[in-house]
Amino acid sequence: MKTSHIKYSLSDRIVKWTIYTIVILICAAILLPCLNVLALSFNDGADAAKGGVYFWPRIFTLGNFKEVFKDGKIVSAYRISVARTVCGTLISLIVTSFAAYSLREKNLPGRAVITILITFTMLFSGGQIPTYIQYKNLGILNTFWVYILPGTVHVTYLIMMRAFFESLPESLVESAQIDGAGYFKIYRRIIIPLSKPVIAVVSLYTAVGHWNDWFAGAFYMNSSKLWPVQTVLQQMLQRAMAAQQEYTNVSQIVAHNASTVTSDSLKMAAVVITTVPILCVYPFIQKYFAQGAMLGAVKE
Amino acid sequence: MSKRNPSVAYIQKKPLGKRLLKFWPLYVMLVPCIIYYILFCYIPMGGIVLAFKDYSFKKGIYGSDWVGFRYFKTFFTSYDCGRLLRNTLTVGLIKCILEFPFAIILALMLNEIKSYRFKKISQTITYLPHFLSSVIIITMMQRILAPNNGVLNQVISAMGGDGSTFFLMKAKYFYQILFGMDIWKNIGWDSIMYLAAIAGIDPTLYEAAEIDGCNRLKRMRYITIPGIRGTIGLLFIMGVGGLLSSGFDQIFLLRTPGNMSVADTLDTFVVRVGLQNGQFGYATSIGLIQGIVGLILVVSANKICKRMTEVSLW
Repeated sequence: MKTSHIKYSLSDRIVKWTIYTIVILICAAILLPCLNVLALSFNDGADAAKGGVYFWPRIFTLGNFKEVFKDGKIVSAYRISVARTVCGTLISLIVTSFAAYSLREKNLPGRAVITILITFTMLFSGGQIPTYIQYKNLGILNTFWVYILPGTVHVTYLIMMRAFFESLPESLVESAQIDGAGYFKIYRRIIIPLSKPVIAVVSLYTAVGHWNDWFAGAFYMNSSKLWPVQTVLQQMLQRAMAAQQEYTNVSQIVAHNASTVTSDSLKMAAVVITTVPILCVYPFIQKYFAQGAMLGAVKE
Repeated sequence: MSKRNPSVAYIQKKPLGKRLLKFWPLYVMLVPCIIYYILFCYIPMGGIVLAFKDYSFKKGIYGSDWVGFRYFKTFFTSYDCGRLLRNTLTVGLIKCILEFPFAIILALMLNEIKSYRFKKISQTITYLPHFLSSVIIITMMQRILAPNNGVLNQVISAMGGDGSTFFLMKAKYFYQILFGMDIWKNIGWDSIMYLAAIAGIDPTLYEAAEIDGCNRLKRMRYITIPGIRGTIGLLFIMGVGGLLSSGFDQIFLLRTPGNMSVADTLDTFVVRVGLQNGQFGYATSIGLIQGIVGLILVVSANKICKRMTEVSLW
């Protein structure tokens, strides 16, 4: 018995250290590319083009960031991004929580049908083109609204919110009803104050979704003045992808750029700036998201 | 949850009209959501008829002339068809099947880590890429994979190899890049569901197994994996539906003149033909094929899973 016990714990220890090693390697694989980009964004552009910058800037400079903030186009793109994130999140939070609150009522006639019709949109959609034509017919194409309205309600978030509202003690609602509170009052005074976790999760997810969206800007917005920053970055990326020569001839880049900020180092700085807001809200999301993911898993 | 509301019986006896009246504030609150779904989901769904019509902007969707199955015939006999289907299926298989086990493995490993701090930190790191947009990730990657001065090529030449490979321009690296990038982005996030499922397993099972002399691997194999079978099934069903329409973002952004032959999928084709060239009817018909195949896949995967694991989406 004793020998077998020792054998088990030895194999257990091997398993344990293998797991630790693999997890550390995975984390390194995730972090190192980010560190490289961070280092590049703080490194002198012309110098970085020569290569050899790994995880720490070789010639430190803030020039890349200064250049980004000098570029009027990028700055206004950040403004658009912030505006759509704030408006879009607010609107979708209001509409989603209203709907989740009414669908919470089990005796609501039509509840089952409405739930099925809403869930069905997860499985099937009209597709890209009919959606585009509908935007056109609604007149939201090439306006700011094309960023806001199409993403108002997400089925997953609606289900998450409803599940959370349903988990709140019914007795609270009932006693408020007895006290003569109407449905809206109960929503405002009881449901919402008690639902901070789910509201936090849904608003953070929605906000990140808005911040990260480039598609609407690229395909539904002709005027580049109204592009969010992700679309501006996407256009820069696309140009670089199409131009095969971009990085192949180092001496050319250095020779043609009088300033030490290359288009490449500018891009790295823009990437860092665009990621910072997400890194700022990340700890808050993290506090709630395991909870949120589990709520999302509860389908019915 | 199942606590019965004492007033249920009373309310249900009332006629429908009275009940509608009683709940009117709730209907008012539901209206914006319903309008949203009608305007942005169901009217576009009706727009599917476009797949059978020659769309003209003047006549609108419903006034345009019918063309029957012409677009479908055109597509299936076209030169693009074989290539597009092959590329789409390859990408779909990579994303839905090949990548599927990785998150499970990560969750199993994270579950075995007993140090709270270490677990927390590694979770924080692995979840992070999920919150970065594809544009950001591919911009980063384009720099890292750049020939000569990209980090990967630098490392290759430092180890004595040829450091001038233009990875993004070579068709043969496309799927590897896509696969690596997708794992990088999603492995942590996808593991959350499994971790949540693992947390729901009865801990006494592990204790009993330990007393019976099961080692870590055996406990993993005979308790953890069977314990999360339901979640695995559920996520598999949901993943399979995207077989023909997965990852537009990444593929669209990863396309370069060099890898076009493998990077053109149904998704990008719809956008190119429809949004960029204005062939609305043709693009809609291809979108419809994707949508219907996706629906069939989800329904049948659901059926199979229901039989095997008694797990079902509905």
